[in-house]
Amino acid sequence: MIFALPMVLMLVLLFAAPMAIVIYMSVHVSKLSGSYYTLEFYRQAITDSLYLSVYWNTVAISVLSVAVGLLLSYPVAYHLSRQTVRVRALLSALVLLPFYTSILVKSYAFTVILGDDGVINQMIGLVFGESTRVSLLFNRTGVIIAIVHFVIPLMVFPILASLVAQPPALRTAAEVMGASNARIFWRITFPLSLPGVATGAIMSLIMSLGIFITPALLGGRRDMMIANLINYYLRETLDWQIAAALSIVLLAIGMIFVVMLMRLRGAQLFTNAS
Amino acid sequence: MGTAASTRSRRQWPLTALVVLVYIFLVAPSLIVIIISFGDTDEYMFPPRRLSFYIYQLYFNDVQWLNATRQSFIVAGLTMVLSMAVALPAAYATARFTFFMRAGLNYLLILPAVVPNVVIAVGLYFYLGQLGLNGTTTGLVLGHTLIAAPFSFIMILAGLRQVDPNLEAAARIMGASELRVLTRVTIPLLLPSIVGGALIAFLMSFDEFIIAFFISSSATETLPVRMFAAIRWEISPIIAAVSSLLTLVSLVAVMLVTLGASRKRAAPSSEG
Repeated sequence: MIFALPMVLMLVLLFAAPMAIVIYMSVHVSKLSGSYYTLEFYRQAITDSLYLSVYWNTVAISVLSVAVGLLLSYPVAYHLSRQTVRVRALLSALVLLPFYTSILVKSYAFTVILGDDGVINQMIGLVFGESTRVSLLFNRTGVIIAIVHFVIPLMVFPILASLVAQPPALRTAAEVMGASNARIFWRITFPLSLPGVATGAIMSLIMSLGIFITPALLGGRRDMMIANLINYYLRETLDWQIAAALSIVLLAIGMIFVVMLMRLRGAQLFTNAS
Repeated sequence: MGTAASTRSRRQWPLTALVVLVYIFLVAPSLIVIIISFGDTDEYMFPPRRLSFYIYQLYFNDVQWLNATRQSFIVAGLTMVLSMAVALPAAYATARFTFFMRAGLNYLLILPAVVPNVVIAVGLYFYLGQLGLNGTTTGLVLGHTLIAAPFSFIMILAGLRQVDPNLEAAARIMGASELRVLTRVTIPLLLPSIVGGALIAFLMSFDEFIIAFFISSSATETLPVRMFAAIRWEISPIIAAVSSLLTLVSLVAVMLVTLGASRKRAAPSSEG
């Protein structure tokens, strides 16, 4: 269809072509002695213990952050779903604000809040005495706190959508038949909200797997994630082949989750997110 | 009835307490940054001893920060225009016409939205480098359009699905030309989604970091790139002022979205 042509053209020129170059870079070596194709960089990318530990960091940090985020998002979504439309719109603003706030602003705020002289440690000092300090910055705790903050809005809205979509009659029927509140929640409300939970969790996982800023600004040396490693080889050591191969590995990990999400949602991948 | 309700609310207080704590966690970073920005020293202080506009004065007198700010507005503005130019017709095509592989095309058009941005940034770094566009504003706008256009597309498509095609058909029957149908019926009804699609493209570009980090030069650096360097390498108080100004931008966006949502609810068709 002719109207879609400009966007298709843009995708071919700015997406397909660059991706093709990344793939080419990851399998092609050109030296003075000649050029050849090789899978050597992928062999390195999936066997080198340094890379494996970075993948492990990435997956561990992402999964843990999404799990904690989910435990905090569900109560918020549930609470929002029980409010009148007007109150819900007002309270939603509290979740929308971090959603629309630049991740750099949030990272800066967390360096101030979590630092050794930060807000949290000042409060801890007041309660437990001046010398008491909890190390929250430049380590994994700081990274996870910031990613949890980042993913909560991504999860609240899909969960809220699946809670609001439930017909109120189901609840009434269960009440009439004498079910307790706890029983109604665990047997009806919660199971019916699982698609929203899964959508939010998978979307958050996809977003946090590729995160760069948070580990770079709030993490320590041992909290490097894949994106930081890619940046290191691309910009600092100029090992473009390995940077390309690592990008493809990250893409592959991400795509596993994207396929799961598509299975779950059909074609309307993002329509509830915004 | 009254006792039942009060038992319920008594039982629910742990939930409410937890939810309030999460709200505090969500909003605290923005609030703290705003408070710090009114400090009067080069070292950040929380809470500040005396309130002043000192840090804002530093910001408005710093050429490097102001250039980065202006660059971000230019790149985001151009990205918004370009995104709309490709996304609007594409959404119209897939919403109003059936053709071979239409469902496949829908997936294809939002593909960049599900690829990690760092991977896209690596591709653009190689590709734009070969075209000699690394470090240029053109390269930045092209890169940002690639990641913003799918979101504009999604928003406009969602809006088009709400516009009843029968209204367009009615206009046609009454003798309106295709162009007139488009300009007098479809586009006016679609206006909220068009505004939303443009806004999201602007904000995505304005906030985008990794692509700009890879392909901008010191002459074309955007605000997020400047901020990253400042947080990482300098201990400049200006970050607090910039962060507060950006929070103000997010607040405006939140208000627009909240207003839009309550407008939609006021219309009888959308609920249920």
